[in-house]
Amino acid sequence: MEEMVLPKRNLPKFIEKILVNYQVFAPVEEDGVTMFKQIRDFSVVNLGFSNSKVPPKILLFKQTETLFKFTPGTKGKIEPVEKREEKTVVFGIRPCDAKAFAILDYVFKGDYEDPYYLTKRKNTVLIGLSCTQPALNCFCTSFDDTPASPKHVDILLTDIGDKYYVEIPTGKGKQLLKDMNKLFGSASEEDSKKKKEVEKKAVNFISRYQKTDGLVEKLDKIFENPFWKKVAMKCLGCGICTYLCPTCHCFDIQDEATLSKGARVRVWDTCMNPEYTLQASGYNPRPSRMNRVRNRIYHKYNYYPKNFDVIACVGCGRCIDYCPVNIDIIDVVTRAWEVRG
Amino acid sequence: MVDENQLREMVKKTVSRDDVKYVVGYEKGTYGFEVTPSFAFTAEDADNFIFSPLCVNNLATYLMLEEKPLLPEGEEPDTRKIGLVVKGCDSRAVVQIIQEKGLKREDVIIIGIPCTGVVDLKKIKARFPGHTKNVDVKDEDDKFVVTIDGKIHKIPKEELLPDKCKHCEYPTPIIYDILIGKEIKSTKKEGYREIELLEKLSLEERWSYWEKQFDRCIRCYACRNVCPLCYCKECMVDQLSPQWIRRSVNLSENTVWNLMRAYHLAGRCIGCGECERVCPMDIPLMKLNKKLEKEIKEMFDYTPGVKVEEKPLLAMFKPDDPEDFIL
Repeated sequence: MEEMVLPKRNLPKFIEKILVNYQVFAPVEEDGVTMFKQIRDFSVVNLGFSNSKVPPKILLFKQTETLFKFTPGTKGKIEPVEKREEKTVVFGIRPCDAKAFAILDYVFKGDYEDPYYLTKRKNTVLIGLSCTQPALNCFCTSFDDTPASPKHVDILLTDIGDKYYVEIPTGKGKQLLKDMNKLFGSASEEDSKKKKEVEKKAVNFISRYQKTDGLVEKLDKIFENPFWKKVAMKCLGCGICTYLCPTCHCFDIQDEATLSKGARVRVWDTCMNPEYTLQASGYNPRPSRMNRVRNRIYHKYNYYPKNFDVIACVGCGRCIDYCPVNIDIIDVVTRAWEVRG
Repeated sequence: MVDENQLREMVKKTVSRDDVKYVVGYEKGTYGFEVTPSFAFTAEDADNFIFSPLCVNNLATYLMLEEKPLLPEGEEPDTRKIGLVVKGCDSRAVVQIIQEKGLKREDVIIIGIPCTGVVDLKKIKARFPGHTKNVDVKDEDDKFVVTIDGKIHKIPKEELLPDKCKHCEYPTPIIYDILIGKEIKSTKKEGYREIELLEKLSLEERWSYWEKQFDRCIRCYACRNVCPLCYCKECMVDQLSPQWIRRSVNLSENTVWNLMRAYHLAGRCIGCGECERVCPMDIPLMKLNKKLEKEIKEMFDYTPGVKVEEKPLLAMFKPDDPEDFIL
């Protein structure tokens, strides 16, 4: 892996250079809400955020995606949507949100290849930004990761004072930086030491922890336990935890048409919604909140590890931060360990 | 200050009754300033109950969220009562639901708490960021007393109160079976100042203001699910035939969703502010609700959820309605 440094004063120039060949998404704050939005120049970028409200999964797995268009009726026809091959950079993505893409890949690259997600994924370069001050409910360290891990990004910037320490773990990252040598300097041993210090400090900042070793087997034993009913009693059944989750990926498919034109769209769906499992017969295999809340936990900590050997949680803390009734996934798992079964 | 021991005693007494299923109240949350809804099925469960200015949630919503699963043949449904801890504003939701016949008065045992104002969690978290350990907040006359790591901070209430408390006219629950502490009278009045500011904008300015807000909506429906008065068996947004609102998340559909919800709550919203509190995208939903509340007050001289014996606004006719808007 190559290591360099980028003086902070060169950052705007760096972004401007990228903007020549790529569409760039970066954290932007509007009305106090930080989101990844397309930018045209560096001035609007907000790097003082902890986590964006909605995770950047929304850029690759869009909340509303048109799959194809059609003309309804007996003379109807189908028009494919243009496959967009725009080269894209997501700038300022957090290591946890980047890891989420690696987790999502298993689904969208699985038995069926999803061209909508995969085309965007292929054309997207992830430029990560290490967290120097993780938020209150961050717990990425519970999954052998760190707030400054370059594992799942193409380029990682870490703030080490007046410059960024730059790690370039992938060929995609190298390709992007071609012809930009002038902006960068080579990293000294001192710089590398500083990065490690920043990383260590950030790790120490994290105070929340979830024990996951052997959790798959534990959950296998307590599926029928009344514990889940207790956890779900206060659940309101809204979609906050799933929509703001960087790894939740369920969707619904709808035909939306007028008399003369229509489109088949894919929209985010949530397993917290009773309709999610409602069958045409009227039967619902997950009839109560207990079933649905339990499903969210099992999908992340039991089914996903069984299928893909990875826990489908990256520890970003969003579901904990924004749950209106304080259903706290760290607390739920911690208490699950105490359940006899 | 609410006597928590008295509260716990009353909850224990209530939950021990043969005709009571459980009591809904508050307990400490899992971190920082969080307080979480708590369900006491036994007297011991009530030991966890607390009441502090952090008890923001309107628990009346749990009356309507109660699941009534299909039962095996011959099994009788559990018709025992539910006990509920309410503040003044929360009680108005119960009144409104009873008026609408969503619930029978005798199905619920109301443990009322005269409320001296709660804390806006967004404000207090911004003021004291980064606390994982539970933080204690108490009420002392016109100040909130926040104890963090043994250090005491006394903060004027005005700085931490949510908007709804700043203009609260009904701090004492409207209905209750048990009252913890003494009645409180309010001298505050809702002046709709924020709404008047919006009204002064031009149509274009207002439209672009709301466009910006609705554009962010992710349609998680937390506003609906937390709302004690959003209890339709099937919400119009979930209906597929006919489909009133498309599932596509875009400005057009988001606008329809938010406006239709506001209209469905016109004359019904009791102003507990839960929708705005839970919105993960910080959409100022109470501005919509307050605007409609103001209109209704002016047109019909009506305030929802304050008289149990009254009919809901849209179910009544008064010959002496102000009705200045009819020519």
